[in-house]
Amino acid sequence: MVVPFVWQILTMFKTTAEATRFPPTVLPETFSPHAFETFFSTVPFWSMFGVSAGALVLRVAGQLAIASLAGYAFARIPFRGREPLFGLFVLMLMVPSQLFLIGQYELIRGLKLLDTLPALAIPGLFSAFGTFLMRQAFRTMPKDYEEAARLDGANPFQVFWHVMLPMARPTLAALAVLTGLYSWNDLLWPLIVSPSGENRPLPVGLAGLQGQFGTDYPTLMAGAFVCSIPLVIVFLVLQRQFFAGITSSGLKG
Amino acid sequence: MTSPTTPPARRPAGRRAGASEPSGWWAAVFVAPAVLGLAALYVWPFLSTFLKSFEDVPAFGPATFVGMDNYTALLHDEEFWKAFGNSALYTVIILLGVPLAVVLAALIEQAGRGRAIYRVLFFLPVVTLPVAVGMVWRFVYNGDFGLLNTVLSWFGVSGQFWVADPRFTIYAFGVVGLWMSLGINMIILGAGLRAIPKDLYEASALDGAGRVRQFVHITVPLLTPSIFFVTTLSVIAALQMFDLIFVMLRGVNNTALADSKTIVYLFYEKAFVQFHQGYGAAIAIVLLLVIMLATALQFRLQRSWVFYG
Amino acid sequence: MKSKWTAAAALAAATALLTACSGGGSGAPPTEKITLTYANWSEDQSPAMEQIAAEFEKANPNIDIKIQTLPWTEYWSTLQVGAAGGTAPDAFWMLADHFREYAKGGQLIDLSGTVKAAGIDMSVYPKAVSDSYTYEGKIFALPKDFDTNGIWYNKALFDAAKVAYPDDTWTWKNVQDAARKLTDKAKGVWGIAAPIDPQGGYYNTILQAGGQIVDSQGTASDFASPAGVAGLKFWTDLQAAGVSPTLKQLSDTEAVSMFENQKVAMYFSGAYWALRFHKNPDLQGKIDVAPLPQGVKRATVTSGIGNAGYAGSKHPEELKKFLAFLGGTRAAEIQAATGTVLPAYKGTQEPWLKAMPEFHLQVFIDAVDYSVPLPVAGNASEWQGLAAQYLTPAWNGEKPVEQAAKEYQDAVDKVLAEK
Repeated sequence: MVVPFVWQILTMFKTTAEATRFPPTVLPETFSPHAFETFFSTVPFWSMFGVSAGALVLRVAGQLAIASLAGYAFARIPFRGREPLFGLFVLMLMVPSQLFLIGQYELIRGLKLLDTLPALAIPGLFSAFGTFLMRQAFRTMPKDYEEAARLDGANPFQVFWHVMLPMARPTLAALAVLTGLYSWNDLLWPLIVSPSGENRPLPVGLAGLQGQFGTDYPTLMAGAFVCSIPLVIVFLVLQRQFFAGITSSGLKG
Repeated sequence: MTSPTTPPARRPAGRRAGASEPSGWWAAVFVAPAVLGLAALYVWPFLSTFLKSFEDVPAFGPATFVGMDNYTALLHDEEFWKAFGNSALYTVIILLGVPLAVVLAALIEQAGRGRAIYRVLFFLPVVTLPVAVGMVWRFVYNGDFGLLNTVLSWFGVSGQFWVADPRFTIYAFGVVGLWMSLGINMIILGAGLRAIPKDLYEASALDGAGRVRQFVHITVPLLTPSIFFVTTLSVIAALQMFDLIFVMLRGVNNTALADSKTIVYLFYEKAFVQFHQGYGAAIAIVLLLVIMLATALQFRLQRSWVFYG
Repeated sequence: MKSKWTAAAALAAATALLTACSGGGSGAPPTEKITLTYANWSEDQSPAMEQIAAEFEKANPNIDIKIQTLPWTEYWSTLQVGAAGGTAPDAFWMLADHFREYAKGGQLIDLSGTVKAAGIDMSVYPKAVSDSYTYEGKIFALPKDFDTNGIWYNKALFDAAKVAYPDDTWTWKNVQDAARKLTDKAKGVWGIAAPIDPQGGYYNTILQAGGQIVDSQGTASDFASPAGVAGLKFWTDLQAAGVSPTLKQLSDTEAVSMFENQKVAMYFSGAYWALRFHKNPDLQGKIDVAPLPQGVKRATVTSGIGNAGYAGSKHPEELKKFLAFLGGTRAAEIQAATGTVLPAYKGTQEPWLKAMPEFHLQVFIDAVDYSVPLPVAGNASEWQGLAAQYLTPAWNGEKPVEQAAKEYQDAVDKVLAEK
């Protein structure tokens, strides 16, 4: 599982000539920092990191709010047309995301949000998958607490906010990590909604690197490493909550 | 189309069981943000693409209605059928990962203290940037000095050009796709495993059942809902494969690209590279129909093998 | 533990919102200053672009130029969506094979008036390049740079094999003989790289064999003619003789990288690699460039990047001024002095030659005399994209060249026949 990563890390410290030799060396002959120097002198890492992180936080926070509200209603509040409407959400899961590109772009442009950080996050705020996941989580919860709160005179929002949402916290954590992943990985969308070139996230820098240093594998490996590591660290920190969330969520099927 | 996860049991509209049951008005408030967003950012773009699939849309300027022309051309387009075959093959490979994930998940559940470490290890590929994954694997697959061929050479096996030879590219992508999805599938299955009551195992152990028999007769049947869920998501994701081919073959003048396109890649190329948006739209609509069919088929088949305890 | 996590998320969300708002607020300019964006796809060249922009801003303090570098793989899709949606960059690099779609679609600002008003003499640009950015008699882009082709070769590998360096007397036969002698399978060295490369490769040899790529009306291609087949055979023969890495190897590792890794001794390609080779420490003192060999005659294709403007720009007058500056001597001199590319403007090439004196770069300038424009008829990006699919079997020796050439020609002609 980790062999490719180990290989990547070993390669980062090799010279280009050593990395393309056959048979390859296992350990670098000399630890050469040139790959990192090239990467950091080419990619404006910190500003791109800021954009990636900002878009991620916006998208995660927004999606958790919107998806949990809708998920709760789909799970617990009966209303006319609920099932067909939910079916529409599930249907949207099946449509390839590239198909939405042009329409989403036109909307962002209409809202005069091009070149802004929110533009990066907006389509991701509304997620059929998130809604689906939250619905599954709420569906499996016992009704007792809810009814008790209602008898105490709480309105549905209060029930949702004070009773149900806290119980869904593990699922929220799981959804946060998954949404964060999607946000961090986005490449084409940021380019399209950022016509003046502001607010470009890390994958853009990484993709540019490949065009420029075709087979300078140490530099490519170093870039791939540096751009991936922030999210890996976040994941390692949150992994307990994340796994707990998946376990208690409706993702079991 | 109704929700596949819940039977379309229609409730009487506006039913109020007790004065305190929330009304439809509250439901509207709760779902409004999600529905508005979905309508504006997903349903409307989808409908506009659907309409485009009946038009000849130049890169710039007005479109002309051409009826079914795009679809007719599509059916006679060898490139489309090849892409279709590639996507189908890739999906099959990804599905082979499901049984693998079941076995691994079961093994890891038994690993005790090491469980956390294994979980993290298998999950690392999931949290790595796809662009980065593509770069690393392209290096591993290199026919001249890649790691894979080096390892094969130790066993006297002659290497191949895994991502430069169209005979192997889809399999090579399949392995990477498997590697990337194994972690998430295992976690979902692991959650299902932990929901299986422990006393079932204890009872069968008293009957003298070994680990393997327990796995076959208790674990797998009781895990079928999770397996079904993972399978469905895998099919949907696999049919939409795009990133890997984009990172690993495009922009590097790779002659294998011509024979290794997937459906979504072909859509991207027609709509965004060659200025044939109407044709691209038709490809996307056909793909959507295929995904819907595959999913519907899975739901039909699940009745015969998924066990809801 | 759990509440801490929620609190952290909430705090982070609040911070992000604040940052987002302050970022959005800076859009209102205090003075009449306007901003033009200028897009390119080359990190290698962006320092020179920055320098050109700075110079323009100095002369035009009310205009702010913002350079944006897009990854090559996303450049055209981003530009297309932007142009269709009214938000394309104001100025951007254009290539001849994409030009027609944009010009035909009315996406490019007409520079004919600017050229006349500013007294720009179009004859300072190589005719082949300026012609390729003219549509229906109107000028839509001014040439930025140009490139012709030569033989990049590795002197160290030639010395090791005791083969004389290529020079302007070389014919196809010399190349083939040298490639054989230079190939040393034991060392993993090949004489030449023979990829399916139109611009650096088979277009040139087809022309050298006395053929043409597409007829003058742009309605039919000519790959299956005797000259077309001969031009393609030049490359397939090299493949068959085993003196080039196979197509598969060249797919894994691009020809230019093979050359940089010193695994191939000769590489037919353009002037645009000069700076990259010059900066590569592994190649110091080891490589040089010679003219392409002669077939029936001398020939090379030529093309160049054009600087075009977006018809939907909010500041058309300033944009025209900027594009005129990009097409002028100063911008050319900066590109030359930094060694970035061979500038299109006549008489500004000297500093480029001097920037990298170790290469005989004059070869590329001399080649202008016998150069032919890159064919751009029809939806060129579409039919060029078909090449790998149809020509691969010929390169791999799985199909006779004549047959592959005929099939490719038919496919190209079908695209050319589209309205």
